[in-house]
Amino acid sequence: MEEQESRNVKSKARYIFAFIIGTALFALGFMIVYSISYFEYQRVSNLQDNLAYIIFEDKIGYSFFNEGICANVSLKKISDDLGFQGVIINDLENKFGKNDERVLDRKKFYSLVLLEHFEFVKLLNEKCNSNISTILFFYSNIPDESTKSEDVGRLLDVIGSKNPGKIMIYSFDVNLNSELIKKIKEKYNITDSPIIVINEKNKITNPQSTMEIEKLLK
Amino acid sequence: MEFIQWVIYASIYTGLIATTFFVMSFLFGKKDKPLLFTDKELPKVSVLIPAFNEESSIAKTIESIIAVDYPKNKLDIIVIDDGSKDKTLEIAKKYESKLVRVFHKENAGKGAALNFGLTKVKSKFVVSMDADTYVAPESLKKMMYYFKDEQVMCVSPAMVISKPTSFLQRIQYVEYLTGLFLRKAFASVNAIHITPGAFSAYRKSFFDKHGGYEVGNITEDLEVALRIQYNGYIIQNCPEAPVYTIAPTKFVQLLKQRRRWYVGLMKNTWKYKGIMFNPKYGDLGMFVLPVAWISIFFSVFVTTYLFFKTIFNVRKDILFLQSINFDFPNIWNLNFYFIERTFFLLVTNPVVIFLLIFILVLAAYLIYASDKVKKVSDIAWNIPLFFAFFAILFSFWWIISIIYVIFNREVKWR
Repeated sequence: MEEQESRNVKSKARYIFAFIIGTALFALGFMIVYSISYFEYQRVSNLQDNLAYIIFEDKIGYSFFNEGICANVSLKKISDDLGFQGVIINDLENKFGKNDERVLDRKKFYSLVLLEHFEFVKLLNEKCNSNISTILFFYSNIPDESTKSEDVGRLLDVIGSKNPGKIMIYSFDVNLNSELIKKIKEKYNITDSPIIVINEKNKITNPQSTMEIEKLLK
Repeated sequence: MEFIQWVIYASIYTGLIATTFFVMSFLFGKKDKPLLFTDKELPKVSVLIPAFNEESSIAKTIESIIAVDYPKNKLDIIVIDDGSKDKTLEIAKKYESKLVRVFHKENAGKGAALNFGLTKVKSKFVVSMDADTYVAPESLKKMMYYFKDEQVMCVSPAMVISKPTSFLQRIQYVEYLTGLFLRKAFASVNAIHITPGAFSAYRKSFFDKHGGYEVGNITEDLEVALRIQYNGYIIQNCPEAPVYTIAPTKFVQLLKQRRRWYVGLMKNTWKYKGIMFNPKYGDLGMFVLPVAWISIFFSVFVTTYLFFKTIFNVRKDILFLQSINFDFPNIWNLNFYFIERTFFLLVTNPVVIFLLIFILVLAAYLIYASDKVKKVSDIAWNIPLFFAFFAILFSFWWIISIIYVIFNREVKWR
């Protein structure tokens, strides 16, 4: 039996290649995620533009051309579209970072579209005798505050599901650096989050149950 | 980014580099042609079977080793009854012949029984075999081929779980199969540091020169493997040599086994800590052993975090359900957008992407294992069980073992 001497690593080059390939795979994972996020951003941008067009077209049709607005309004579809765009924009913000200009611009535009639709629904209630309730939801997605807002968001999702086409929910990020958000916060005296404003009358800070909200919807 | 995310990404990055290194080592290792005995050159070998209260399995174990495809004039089977209180000795005695020798001694543990067996060995090679292990006919011969190389002190087989039927056996079955690839990859850089006590072959001169099994060591097989490495010799692996062992079926049985293994691993690694980060031990010291410990740390840390996070989320969901008056039909607005968002969140989570990569790697490991072992049972059923439960079980076993080491609690062989 021979005595063994110290042994070297089998191949130093293998370590270098393992490091390079491992690092490349790691980077590839993030690149895949980034690419999919970017495709989704583009898709949501298109959806948002289309939806904005429909809403503006309906409003202009009424205010400029005196067209009837009471028929052919699919509030359920628009509610779903708006809800989806809102959450995806928030998801994209988490993916690309809170300072990403593309997402921030989309978010500002989204807030504008929401307000435009909110005005449209108010018009429907007024002109068509509709009885559509509105909820303005002021949330925060700053890490320390987001949990409470997410919980309220889930409550509102349930309420929205229970009342398709009868309740419209509009979500606004209170931390968004936008003149529009500043003005709407001032209008409804929003100093905290999460806060919901029901039918422009009742304000609840951090509601804890659907029952608490539904009481004020009646 | 939260601290836990840094830990998760660090563990993924380490895992990718380590996996790449092991795959490359495996592929390049295939080109190395080992020095092998021919059939005619096969040496005499003694198979030591220590047995303590193994009446249910000892007969099948002895029959399986008698039936191996190995020249009978070069085979010597030594059964050591370690003071069994059941019929182990009586059953073993029935097989006594020119081929099978049976000894009885007072109970003193597996290490002492193997040392006793070593005193009866007349050949240059020994195999330690557990009394609940069965060997495929060709396995012993294929393992012994490797001893042509004088540097090889030990050859390990392809350990496989015998006929997995219970839930826990099925999980262990996949764990053992994935180990076949890694063991071969480790062997290609001489970095095997764990050899199965259930069936491993040794050059007896190693025990003569460096001492026998350490009596009282709860993982005496592991201690020998590290001692072989510590002394600078080679441990080979023969993946074409399937050996079947009976895995624990009950949770407590399995916990006790793993606790013994992991406490033994910690204590023996500490004993041979000189290997760690020591360039003298090549790939084993500089990469394989450190990465093994880093991986254990990461997997225990991350799985424990995820476990408690899941419990916290479940608690939160129950509170949420309460807050919506358990209005189940309206929890989700199940439209196309809901599905799209769920899919989007999944595919834009880097962890999910890396998980897919690791699943593909594991699939490749399993394809390799099924090629070597030939018969692979219920794989479509066993793999999902493995993915769903192994990580949490692994972490649990490790946490219990770490607690035992920290509080210096005694761990017995059984």
